[in-house]
Amino acid sequence: MSLLEVNRLEKSFLSPEGENFKVVSVDSFLLNHSEFCGMMGESGSGKTTFLHLLAGILTPDTGSIKLDGQDLTKLNVVKRDYFRTSSIGYIFQSFNLLQGLTCLENLKLPMYFSSKFDEEYAEELLVRVGLEDRISYRPSQLSIGQQQRVALARALVSKPKLVLADEPTGNLDANNATKAIDLLCELCRETKTALLAVTHDERVIENFDQKINFQDINHQD
Amino acid sequence: MNNHFGNLFLLSYRGFKQFKSSSLVASFSIAIAGGLFLSTLKVKEGAENSFTHSSGGFNAVLGARGSSLQLVLNSIFHLEASPGNLDWEEYELIKSTRGVSEAYPIAVGDNYMGYRLVGTLSELFLEHEWKIGNKYKIEKGRIFSDSAKEALVGKFVASKLGLKIGDKFHPYHGLTFRESSKHDDIYVVVGILEATGTPADKVIWVPIKGIQHMEGHAQEYLNSVSAVLLNLKGIREPMDLYSKYNRRSNEATLVWPINKTIADFFKRLTWFEKILQWVAYMIGLMSCMLVLAILQNSINERKREFAILRCLGASRSFLVQVVMSQSIIISMLGGLGSLIIYFTTSSLSSYYIREETGVLLEPFHIDITYVFVFLSIILLGLISAILPSFSVYRVDINKNLQHAS
Repeated sequence: MSLLEVNRLEKSFLSPEGENFKVVSVDSFLLNHSEFCGMMGESGSGKTTFLHLLAGILTPDTGSIKLDGQDLTKLNVVKRDYFRTSSIGYIFQSFNLLQGLTCLENLKLPMYFSSKFDEEYAEELLVRVGLEDRISYRPSQLSIGQQQRVALARALVSKPKLVLADEPTGNLDANNATKAIDLLCELCRETKTALLAVTHDERVIENFDQKINFQDINHQD
Repeated sequence: MNNHFGNLFLLSYRGFKQFKSSSLVASFSIAIAGGLFLSTLKVKEGAENSFTHSSGGFNAVLGARGSSLQLVLNSIFHLEASPGNLDWEEYELIKSTRGVSEAYPIAVGDNYMGYRLVGTLSELFLEHEWKIGNKYKIEKGRIFSDSAKEALVGKFVASKLGLKIGDKFHPYHGLTFRESSKHDDIYVVVGILEATGTPADKVIWVPIKGIQHMEGHAQEYLNSVSAVLLNLKGIREPMDLYSKYNRRSNEATLVWPINKTIADFFKRLTWFEKILQWVAYMIGLMSCMLVLAILQNSINERKREFAILRCLGASRSFLVQVVMSQSIIISMLGGLGSLIIYFTTSSLSSYYIREETGVLLEPFHIDITYVFVFLSIILLGLISAILPSFSVYRVDINKNLQHAS
């Protein structure tokens, strides 16, 4: 059985003209346990909306999203929040670290929400991403590359089954981008976590198991 | 940070810090509102209680025809001018009347450095209880002799003027100090009274004959008293006396019971208390609106942060708790500020009242009102956070997270 099964997924938004605009229309999408999938596509093709649907941030108009057998679309908000934090790690292009918190505190937040509190593991992850000497630093005191490494660690800290990465290297230079993606893949491999990454950068996904052009599976209006 | 409250505090304190200046302004205005409200409530109550219990152990006073309040203020609190004099025979008469358990004449009209001299009989300090079970105690020296130019000084006056046993002074005519009105008589300090926390501390006690025979006083002083301090027993006799003096005669005024006159006086101040309370309500309302605006601004600025938190798994109720906690931080600071403002105000009032009247207030008497006001402030803070909580509850994660691709 696949880890992620998407069936007849549709999501529309109301355009400023008042018309329904179908942003996502995916008939089927599968991702196996521990599998890495790179997804490319033009800007505005609905990739982020698709990731938000998979993460339960958005609810679809129709269709189903099954993660490890659990249909997200059948869960209420509270259960969906809990499911997201315990089963899915999310990496944003702009990292979205909370500025007032230290690296370690940023890492511990999802653990707290998922009730999988393990401070030692959070510290271990910071060591693993090479930030052992930056534990008490705030995001503004870190370089862009270091911030991204904190974001990677945060996505994995709750030991999720799936990591969704939205342009994880979009804000990094080529050198840092390669390092970050190598590190992400390494961590996911070590923890047997599946990875679905949206990117514009072909180099990023050249080693991924599955490469998809999102426009090929999405039948947008 | 491994617990619910740790996270809550961290995130709400962050919101507070982000709007530190305006949050502190809101806390300060809450503090003023709460402090003002508490002050109007407690200072008046404290003053009324203290004045009621500072009648020096007397329940009635007989004086010249005039205002009851003026008579009480003059004879009991040693404030204001005397409404006039009574003949010594009036004192003798009422002293021997049935139903009068105690009667002490007093005569006023002179001062020393602004502190009034009160002439009376030495037995006041030997026999009278100024509070149940408490007779006057002499800290140093002795009680004056009724036939000598001697003074027994109240503790407050002794401290203020630095008077000690053996010191000599010239009295001054009138109740306010004027250098030009010095009498030739010389008085010797023979005793210092122990503090009582009543107006007795604020006067210089001398023999009544001293005032009556003071050099320069008019002839009518020789056989007159300013008032007679009384203790009336029973109900019927005092009522008969009241009727005799106040309804059937036009020469004297009997104030009985004194506490009623004091209570009536404080009742007259109710309008002022009400106005101050309304001012406090208005400031309180403004503070609530300020808290609401600060929280709403904070949410608008932190929408993205809240969206990230939601994305990381924070429930909507957790975000509501963050906003509520931020409001609690502001209102708790305001509540503590209220208590500080109140204690400062009441200490100042207490000092001022003590300086002016000798009556000692007890401002730090802790009771449930403080807890009630503090909790009400927190509750108002939470009510102010209701609308902002709705808006944080509805934060759209998708819309508030960055770009779409």
